[in-house]
Amino acid sequence: MTSPSPSPSPSPILILDRVSKRFAGHTAVDELSLSVPRGVIYGLLGPNGAGKTTTIRMIMNILEPDGGAVRVFGEPSGGRVHSERIGYLPEERGLYRKMRVLDVLVFLGEMKGIDRRRARQRAEAWLERLGLAQWRLRRVDALSKGMQQKVQFIATMLHDPDLLILDEPFSGLDPVNAQVMKDTVLDLRSRGKTILFSTHIMEQAEKLCEQLCIIARGKKLVDGALGDIKRTHGGHHLVIGFDGSLGAATQVFADKDLVSKVDNYGQYAELELASGADPQQILQRLVTSGARLSKFELREASLNKIFIDLVGPDAARAEARPDA
Amino acid sequence: MRKVWAVIRREFVERIRTRWFWIMALLGPVFFAAVFVLPAVLASGGGVRRIVVVDAARGSVGARITQLLNGSPAFRVVRVPARGGVVDSLTAEVEQKRLGGFLILTDAAVDSGKAEYRGSNISGFATIGALERTIGEVVSAVRLEREGVDPGIVARARIPVQLETKRIAGGKTTGETAAQSFSLAYFMGIILYTAILLYGINVMSSVLEEKTTRIVEVLVSSLRPFQLMLGKVLGVGAVSILQFLIWGVSARILLANRSRFLTAGEPGEPDPIFQVPHVNGATAAVFITYFLGGFFLYSAMFAAVGAMSSSEQEARQAQQPVSWLLVVSFVSMFGILNDPASTFAVTLSLVPFSAPIAMPVRWAAGNLPVSELALSLAILLAAIGGVTWVAARIYRVGILMTGKRPNLKELVRWIRTA
Repeated sequence: MTSPSPSPSPSPILILDRVSKRFAGHTAVDELSLSVPRGVIYGLLGPNGAGKTTTIRMIMNILEPDGGAVRVFGEPSGGRVHSERIGYLPEERGLYRKMRVLDVLVFLGEMKGIDRRRARQRAEAWLERLGLAQWRLRRVDALSKGMQQKVQFIATMLHDPDLLILDEPFSGLDPVNAQVMKDTVLDLRSRGKTILFSTHIMEQAEKLCEQLCIIARGKKLVDGALGDIKRTHGGHHLVIGFDGSLGAATQVFADKDLVSKVDNYGQYAELELASGADPQQILQRLVTSGARLSKFELREASLNKIFIDLVGPDAARAEARPDA
Repeated sequence: MRKVWAVIRREFVERIRTRWFWIMALLGPVFFAAVFVLPAVLASGGGVRRIVVVDAARGSVGARITQLLNGSPAFRVVRVPARGGVVDSLTAEVEQKRLGGFLILTDAAVDSGKAEYRGSNISGFATIGALERTIGEVVSAVRLEREGVDPGIVARARIPVQLETKRIAGGKTTGETAAQSFSLAYFMGIILYTAILLYGINVMSSVLEEKTTRIVEVLVSSLRPFQLMLGKVLGVGAVSILQFLIWGVSARILLANRSRFLTAGEPGEPDPIFQVPHVNGATAAVFITYFLGGFFLYSAMFAAVGAMSSSEQEARQAQQPVSWLLVVSFVSMFGILNDPASTFAVTLSLVPFSAPIAMPVRWAAGNLPVSELALSLAILLAAIGGVTWVAARIYRVGILMTGKRPNLKELVRWIRTA
């Protein structure tokens, strides 16, 4: 990101302090604490059913926590009081099907606390910008799904919020809209806005997030800056590409003195080095084993790898979601 | 609050923009007029009846009955003497619909009070009643004359009494007749039932729409669920008031020009049961007050039903208990009309779920102590408060739930934990 990073404000824009939510016989969020600094893109990561949506709903006052506290903009109240400063895009998105596009946007703008005239002006400008100007007086159900998604973004940004809370913003988007969404998020970030988004797709988070929090089964596993997390949890990783012959490479991978973990794809493998192991020694052993290498790279672990290591294969499975 | 206002405005504007609203606005008066006039038209059997009197009786009985029936615009009667084969040929005429029916008159009519009518339609109460009355009148006159009573005395003795009924309201005798009171009460009952049900279901489908499209999640992140529900109920309520205004104005216009429509139709006298009632300010106020009371009470329940359902089909099932409450109130209206001061009627007008229909019906049907009206209103208000409180809690939990409808136990938990 080339945008000028605004100096981090001392007070976080959003704080969760040991927030819990229980549904009938099941704890969806368990004493979760996190803190989102101003002006960053913050990722709330976790497998399906980890409690991301429940957490976001508690931030937005849609659900009341059973325990703990939510502080938004430094005040001990949830998002509803500040709704004019927060743009919220829920995971399951909908619009009034029979209303005209412009009317829906004006109404949702009013819900966020801006007056009709301003809401109308901004809605017109956004529709123009996203190429939907000629659809403004059409009914929502006359629009394609992709166009409806754009209308939903507009509704989220219409009141120019300081904090955006996006629940799985990329799910269900076509590639064009995913690009629009990504550009919008980066544009907002460059204008000093804070974006909190949830996702279970680690590649996305790795590209966008500066700060993140990984949760599973309602509990926090790790949080902090992306770089720090990678350094502490990443370990030393080797990425190896083969050019046809593997030789006796698998024997080398099996040497516990050198390799603590291996993820072998056949023509490609990710290794985690055993503590104290020397990568050069592995290279030497592989060459003498007769393997033909196309790639030998020392690298920090992908977020996906860290995520799976932390969460474990069991929790990574989708769970039943009593809250959704 | 501005956001509640925006919700009200959206409900109102989007609803009056629909074709459905204007169809209702225009066809409503037609529908209610039909409800009103149809029973009268059906009961009278409609049109002029062509009848033949087969006269096998001694003396002038047959001729006098024929003359009297022809004096009424509803009958065209021909008298034929009884001959062999006449019954068969008349039966054929009736079969071919050239004749409504025929009356067989013998001496038994005067002697033992028996006569026979054969016709294609013998269930028309008005026709049969008129025949019976006319025959009875002539026969009893003939009997008296045979006993030697002066025909002049007979004629004078037969002048009927016309009971003029006037309603006392607020210490004054009004110009309103019993028939008018009855039809006013009947009319108000029908409108109240229809409108409360209609607009209650409107609230339900509005809640359901926001729930199924999931837009409710964005809404309740900006305003409290109760504010949303309140705005919705008020918005739909405003639509109903507009609907009533349109109906009221069009009814005024129709009534003002009623003579024009009536002269175009049958010149016969209108059925005395269905006279146009006189609506004064107090009656209108009672009507509107109880309509709004009933609407708030029921639409809160309908909103809760909408919130706990996930689809139209589910909602249709779940709303049945609520609708039945209304149906029962509506049906018992007929019992109330029968005796507006009975314990049954008083009870129903105090129970909040039936009061919105029962109380205006009692008010229109007869004199009502103000204390009872006040008590009924107080109970209704308290019930609105209580029901809304419960409904709002169900609503708040329900609008975010998907999956199967809650059972009663889960519902109680929602109410307790919300």
